[in-house]
Order: sequence, then C-alpha cells, then structure tokens
Amino acid sequence: MNLASYRKKSPWILHYNAGGCNGCDIEILACLAPKYDIERFGMINTGNPKQSDILLVTGPVTKRSRERLVEIYAQMPEPKVVISCGACASTGGVFRGMYNCEGGVDQFIPVDVYVCGCGTRPEQIIDGVVQALAILEKKTKELEESVKLKREAVKEGHQLNRRHIADEIKPVLS
Amino acid sequence: MYFFITGLFLLPLIVSGLLLVLPGKISKRLVILTSFLLSALALYIFINTTAPLYFSVPGYVNEVVAGADILLLVYFGWVALRKKSGLVGILTVLQLAGLLYLLKTLPASHSMQFMVDKLSVFMFLLINVISGIIAVFSLRYIEEEACSAFRKKYFLSILFWFIGVMNLVVSSDNLEYFFLFFELTTLASFLLIGFRKDAVSVKNALTALWMNQVGGLAILAAIFFIAYNGYGEATFSNLLAHTAEKGILLPLALIAVAAISKGAQLPFSKWLLGAMVAPTPVSALLHSSTMVKIAPFIILRLSPALKDTPVAMVLIGLTGFVFIAAAVGALAQDNFKRILAHSTIALLALMIMMGAMGTPVTIVASLVLILFHGISKCMLFLNAGVLERVFHLKETSDMDRLGESGPFTSLVITLGFMSLLLPPFGAFIGKWLSIETLGALATEKKILGALVMVAIAGGGAVLSLLYFKVMGGLVSRSGEQDRVRFEKTGPIYSATIYILLGLVLAGMIGLPLLLTHYFAPVAAETGRQAVPVVTEGWNLYIASMRLPILPLLVAFFLLPVTVITALFIRFRKVDRAREYMCGEKLNYSFSSFYFSTDRATPYFYAAGVLFLASLILVALI
Amino acid sequence: MNDVLIPVILILLAPLLGGLLYGFERIVKARMQRRIGPPLLQPFYDFLKLAGKRRMMVHSAHAFLGIMHFVSLWFALAVLLLGGDLILVIFLHLLSTSLLILAGYSTRSIFSHLGANRAAISVLAYEPVLIILAVSIFMLNGTFDTAAVFTSSEPLLYKMPLAFIALLLVLPIKLKKSPFDVAEAHQEITGGVELEFSGLFYEAVYTAKWLDYVFCYTLVFLFAGSNILLGAGLLVFTFLYLNALDNSTARVSYKQMLRFSLGVAFSLAFINLLINSLT
Repeated sequence: MNLASYRKKSPWILHYNAGGCNGCDIEILACLAPKYDIERFGMINTGNPKQSDILLVTGPVTKRSRERLVEIYAQMPEPKVVISCGACASTGGVFRGMYNCEGGVDQFIPVDVYVCGCGTRPEQIIDGVVQALAILEKKTKELEESVKLKREAVKEGHQLNRRHIADEIKPVLS
Repeated sequence: MYFFITGLFLLPLIVSGLLLVLPGKISKRLVILTSFLLSALALYIFINTTAPLYFSVPGYVNEVVAGADILLLVYFGWVALRKKSGLVGILTVLQLAGLLYLLKTLPASHSMQFMVDKLSVFMFLLINVISGIIAVFSLRYIEEEACSAFRKKYFLSILFWFIGVMNLVVSSDNLEYFFLFFELTTLASFLLIGFRKDAVSVKNALTALWMNQVGGLAILAAIFFIAYNGYGEATFSNLLAHTAEKGILLPLALIAVAAISKGAQLPFSKWLLGAMVAPTPVSALLHSSTMVKIAPFIILRLSPALKDTPVAMVLIGLTGFVFIAAAVGALAQDNFKRILAHSTIALLALMIMMGAMGTPVTIVASLVLILFHGISKCMLFLNAGVLERVFHLKETSDMDRLGESGPFTSLVITLGFMSLLLPPFGAFIGKWLSIETLGALATEKKILGALVMVAIAGGGAVLSLLYFKVMGGLVSRSGEQDRVRFEKTGPIYSATIYILLGLVLAGMIGLPLLLTHYFAPVAAETGRQAVPVVTEGWNLYIASMRLPILPLLVAFFLLPVTVITALFIRFRKVDRAREYMCGEKLNYSFSSFYFSTDRATPYFYAAGVLFLASLILVALI
Repeated sequence: MNDVLIPVILILLAPLLGGLLYGFERIVKARMQRRIGPPLLQPFYDFLKLAGKRRMMVHSAHAFLGIMHFVSLWFALAVLLLGGDLILVIFLHLLSTSLLILAGYSTRSIFSHLGANRAAISVLAYEPVLIILAVSIFMLNGTFDTAAVFTSSEPLLYKMPLAFIALLLVLPIKLKKSPFDVAEAHQEITGGVELEFSGLFYEAVYTAKWLDYVFCYTLVFLFAGSNILLGAGLLVFTFLYLNALDNSTARVSYKQMLRFSLGVAFSLAFINLLINSLT
C-alpha cells in the first residue's frame, strides 16, 4: 500500500473571481450542490489560499484585480495548480480589449488547465479538476524529487513562491 | 528576634527621613541597599519564627500613639478645610469625637500591643520584598517625572514610610494601635495619589481619603462596641478568644467594613480606580504588596472568629458579587492601568471570600492568591510604568505595534496575564482551590453556595475574556519580524522586571514545596486548626483536596515554556507568505471589541451599599 | 489493569478515532443534504496531502503556537480520560484554546484577529456552564475526579438531566458548529484563527479539531457513568443532534450567541445546581 497515492484524493479548491459576470461562479457552486456533489472526491471549497491546492479563476483579469490575483497565487503553498475556468479567464473572452480588462489569467500567473465555455458546464469543471489532479500529482513528485536531490528548498526560475514577486508588479497608478 | 522585628519597623521610617535630606546620588544607593536589607530581614524573620511573639511597648508609647492619632486627625481636618471637602470634614470630626471619647473612657493600660505570628511574617515577606523592588523601580521612574528635585526625594521618602507603616499594621494586635497605622496608610496613600497636584489627582486623593476614613471610623466603632459588650480590651487576640459568642458579631462586622473599604470592594471601589492618576509605582505599591492587601489580611486574622457566622455569609455573598461586577466593569475599560485595577478588585474579592470561609483549604487558597497575585500584579504594573515611560502608551487600543517595538514587554505582560488565569501558575492554583472548596460550600450552604459558585464561574470567564482582549492587542507581529530582538529599557527597569519574572516562574516550579513548607504552617496558625498537607507519590493532598503534580508539571512546559520559546524559535527552510487579506497588501491597525457597562455601574454601587447595610444588620440581629 | 489500559489505548488512538468520527460526520451531513458525501477516510487523505505540501508560514511563533495547541489539547484529553480532576481538565482545555487564540493574535492578519476575538467570546459562552457542570457532578459524587464518574453505577443523566441539556446547548459553541460557529465562520472570516496556518502547520490545527471531537464526546459520555449501553446511546443521540442542528440552522451573531448561552444554557445549569444542592 502506497500512502502517497491517497494524496490526490483531497484537492482543496480556492475560487477566485477576477472580474467576470458570475456565470461561471454559479456553475462552480452547482458542482458543490447535491446533483454533482464534488465532495465525493474529497474536494472542498476553502476560500483560503493558504490551505488550498487548486486555484480556480473565473472571469477576465481587470486592472483592479490583477495584483490581488498574483498575491493570492503567491500565498498558496506549493505544489499548486491553476485552472482558468471559462472563456473570459482563458482569453479575456467578450471583454478582451476593453479599457478595464487586462486579458486572460495566463498573462499573470502560469495556468495549467484551461476550461472552455461561456458559462462552463459543471461537468466540464469537474473534468478540468480531474485533469488538474494529474498535474498536481506530477508536480508533487517533482517537488519531492528536487528536495531529495538538492536537500534544500526548490528555487524555480520565476520564483513565484517568494513573497516579493507580488511587489514586483507595479501598482496601478490613477 | 525583637531586635530584628523592630528593625523592620524602624529601618524604613529612618530611611524615609534620611531620603529627604541626603543628596541624590547617596540616596539612590541607600534605596537599593535598604531594599535588599529589608528583604533579607523579612526572610530571616520568616525562617526563624516558630511561635507567635507577643510583645508590649513601654507606657509612654501609648501617649505618643494617642498624640499621633490626634495630630493626624487635625491634619485631615486641615486638609478638609483647605480643599473644602465636606465629607472629609464630617468624617474627621466624627473620628476625632470618637477617639477622644474612647481615650477618656477606655483604660489606658494595655497588656500587649504587638503580635507577630506566622501570618504577620508572611505579610512581612510580601511587603518588604515586593515593595523593595518597587522602590528600586521608582528610582528611575521618578527621575523622568516633571517635578522639582525635592518632590522626587519626597516621593521616595513616602514610599519607604509606607513600607514601615505597613509592617506595623500587620503586626499590631491592639486595635487602637491598629487604628493609628490604618489611618497612617490612608494618609500615605492620600499623599501619593495627590502627588501630581493636578485637579484630577487632588479630587481622587480626597475620594481615597474619605472612603478610607469610613474604614477608620468603623474600627473606632468596633473598639467601642467591644468595650460596650463587656469583652474588655480591644485586641485581635481578645476577639479570637471569644469566638462563637454573639456579642462579638457587631465588632467583627465593623472591622469587616474597614477591610472592605481598604480592599476597595463595592461600594468603595471608586478610590482604587481613581488612584490610577498617581505615578505608576504608587499603583504597583497599592495593588500588589501594601494597602489593599490589608483587607484579606484582616479577614484572615479574624477568620477563626468569622467562620460560619452570619457576618461571614454576608461577606461571602458580597465578595462573590464584587468578583463578577468588577470583572464585568473591566470589560468597558480601555486604560491599561484601569483594567489592572478592576482585576485587582475582583481577585481581592476572591481572597476575602476565601478568608471568610475559614476552612484549612480556603485559607491556603487565600494565602496563595495573596502572594502570587502580589507578584504578578506588581510585574504587570511595573510594565505599565515601562509602557508609559519608554513607549508612551497608556490605552490598550494603542498598543497594537507593541509586539514589534517592544517584544520583551509584550511577552512579560502576556505571561503576567496568563499567570493570573491558567495552570500551572500559582494564582491559578489559588483559583482552583477556591472553585473546588466552593463546591463543598454549595453542598453545605445550599443557595448561597450555589449563587457564589455562579458568580465565580461567570466572573472567572469574564476575566479570562478580559485578559485575552488585552493580550490580543499586544502580541501581534507582521511576517517580516521573525527574528525577535528584545528592546533595551534601561538597567533598573529590566532588572526589576527580570527579578519579578523570576519570582513568578520560581513560585510556579517550587509550588509543591511552597505549599508544604510555606503556606501550610502559616494557614495552620492563622486558621487555628491543623492543615494537613501530604505528598503521596505524584499527588499532593491539602486536607481532602487532591492536587495532581504531574499534570501541572507538564502544563509548565505547555504554557510558560511554550510562550517564551515561541518568541525565539525559528523554523528554517520554510517559505514565507504574507498575511491573507483577500489579496490586499494594506496595513491595518487592530482593536478589540468593546462592551459598554456604564449603565450597570450605578446598580453595582447600589447593590454594594445594600450588602454593606445587610452586613451590619445581620450582626445586630 | 483495565482501568488504566483502556484509557491509555483511547488516548493513543484519540486522533485516529477523532478522524474517523469527523469522516463519518461528513458523510452523515452529506446524506442529510441528499448528497453522497466523501469517503469515510477522507480526513486521513487530507492529512496525507497536507503533509506533502511545501511548508509555508507567516512567522515562526505563529506556526509553533499552532503545534503546541495540538499538543496541549491532547494532554488535556489524556488527563480527562485518565480520570483527572474535572476543573483542572477544563482549565487545561482553556490553556490549549488560549494558545490557539494567542497564535491568532500573533499575526497581523485581520481575519485571524477577528477569529481570535470571537474564539475568546466563545470561551466566555461555554466555560461558566462547564464549571457549573463540574461542580454539580462534585455535589453528587463528592469528588471532582472523572475516574469516580466513569466507575459510578448510577448514571448522572438521571440525576441531572437539566445539566445534560445545558451541555447539549453549549457543545455547538465548543465544536464550532452552526448556529454558534462565529469563531470559525468559513464563509465570513474564512476560518478565523486557523486561516493563517498552512501545510504541516495546518495539519496540527486540523488534527486538534478531531481531538476536540473526542474531548466533547467524552464529556457527553460522563453522563452515562459506567453504563456503556446508555453511554453509546447518548453518543449516538448527541452525534445526530449536532449534525441535524448544524445542517438546519444559520449562523447567529456573537452577541446572540452570548445572550443565548449565558441566558438559557447557564440558567439551566444553575437551576440544576440549585436542585442538586437542595435535595
């Protein structure tokens, strides 16, 4: 029996709306409700970056929300996976090119899974999460590998886990 | 032995006089030297006292005492005239009339004026060690006070005078002498509270004066009724010799009133709260070792006589009420010193209650509370002084950066509050003993016991909420401040606080030893009954109560050690993250919740007056 | 031999038992909402996952206090199960809670502070009731030791039913269940005190919650004395009651909680004390 194999049975989700229309958010909540009941897979909607594994972003990134998005991402412990949920989060969607919109989530943080649709369907979200789980498992293994090899904390190229990367993004000046 | 005890009486008084005339540098050394000497003397006397010592003084001292009494009252009258305070005036006239009448009617000869038993010696140790530390602390504190050089000397001088008078109070047997010393402590506190000479100080000093004068008047009345009821000489030992007689109930009740006024119980709590305007060492002195501790001392001294009388029942009811009322009143406070004052009143109520119950375990509980409350409160108040002088903070709501700018002060205050609340600290043991004995009281005394139990349970929980509220503002640090460096507050400040912290921790570790060798003999002599304290394996038995030592030992590692380690421990190879604020990166200032209890205060006072009236009524009936 | 062996086994297995209880509770709660719910061992999967995360913290003091909260809570539970003094147990539990509250205060995080404030209020709400309960037990048994309660053949339930009701009313506060979960309030202050913990450090706080379950259910079990059948019945009843309550009520504000617990539960405990002292 390999204890490590049970790790992927407990993905905790952080849901962040970067400025969307709430369509996708309602679908995410539908996943929690009796019909889809993703708690079957041990998923919890935590609302707290420090204890979650999967960041579920909906909506296009607006100017006001991008710093918060990066800050929240930086506060999640590794290994972590980002799912951009819906057309807006993936590309900017219908909001793309507007004065207040900065485009998709992947412009600011690395995205692992893109879920399409404008309102994504709950089945799609669940599918996306299942794919994310495989990536999460891979990342966990990589993390362990590097710890074993170097015996010190992993230093990634983009240093996304360090607290000061959030500072590097310039605040919006009006 | 007489020589040493007289030394304990006279040394502070002589030093007090010397401090007024000596130049600053020498007086500084003198203060430190005297503090050490007094502590050493008290310790020596404590170790070598086995049986109660009675001793009388030559006859001319009686005349001196009578003269001093009249002089003191004349001074009070002068104060009343100058400050135009009607209440002080009326009380002074009443006291003067009563005193003159008593001097005329009562026999002038006394068999014994002083009695030094183990309780007195116990109080000596508390008074001299703690007050000595406070005196050393105030050397530095008073230097920064904005006043003339003479007034600085004058302050230290009164401080030592206070110590000397306190030593006399706890060893006098004769009530006439006791009255003089009682009033002298009133005078000392009056002078110290009014030290800053501004309008508020003067007003509060006068409040303290008249409230304590009520106590003095009650003592005079007690002396009168003792003679009137035909018990002869008015001494404590005489009262104790006539336990379980109806005639002494009224004097007992009156002396209890004196205790209540000194101990700032409702309805007299106002003077202690007002005393906060004085320089902080004064508050420390009033709260920890002197002044208010006279209240539990008197009750303990009389506990064999008080035990199971209706007076004791009313006293227990009153103090139970005060415990919860003071705790609730504290929730509305923001000033750090006022919060401490409320918690002192609440804990004093507990000490008085335990003394009034008079069973072996309760007397031990009362003594434990007196000692450890004294040490912890002294530590907290000295820190209040540091906060005031070094960090310029007075209100708890302003202290939310203290964890970063003054980690040591914040740590000590946290430990101080925890020592009043949680196992394994000494004050907690006192509280624990109280709760368990109150359970027994509830079984015997039915409704009274149940009501008092409710007050203690409720009040204790309110106090814990209060301490959390204060601690909450003190300890927060941002993530950048992982490495803690203790602030420098000056050698005198840090030395005194380190000594007190050491005393708190040592008291906690040595508690089983202290209980068997220190508290039990004192309690046995105070309560006039055997206090069996037996150690069996990992259990300590006080009469029927079992104190398991092992859990307390583990709790020592779980609380003080943990809290201190938490400051120093550093986890390596751990990522850092900013505090979660929904992705914002702002800095917030924190404050805690606030309860307004002002509407209830008049009712508290009214209930206090009712209790007081019933105290006298019960004795009369 | 048995009166030492069973408690020791229980103490050692306490986190395991608590975890199973928590897992079962999640299933029952889900079934009450007509969901399927997670597997029984879900808490342990969470446990394994949290252990594998890279460590992260706000500062060391905060993380350390969280760990010590777990340790001290386990110790309080051990004293309770080994038949220690009930008042001491209540205060040891307060000690462990105060370490968590202190941890909450030690960061400069608003939600942590809010949670710690509310946890302190919760202490005020349930502690007096527990102390009155302990005194009532003392008046019946003549001792504060829980060992005497565990071995007494007459269940406390029949002698002090009001106290049991009072305990049932304050248990949701202690276990942070709706309607009295202001201290945790996931949707409102995202977990309160436990918010800033992550990874291995959160594991300590998460497991401490399981221990709290065991602690509270042991308090319930006290009412059955040595009658194991009745004890089991009480446990099942309390379990169903807590989950039904959690599922069917909405959160009340801390003031309402305080008013209710001090007004109703505390009065019930007091009436019980009076009845005990008069008979």
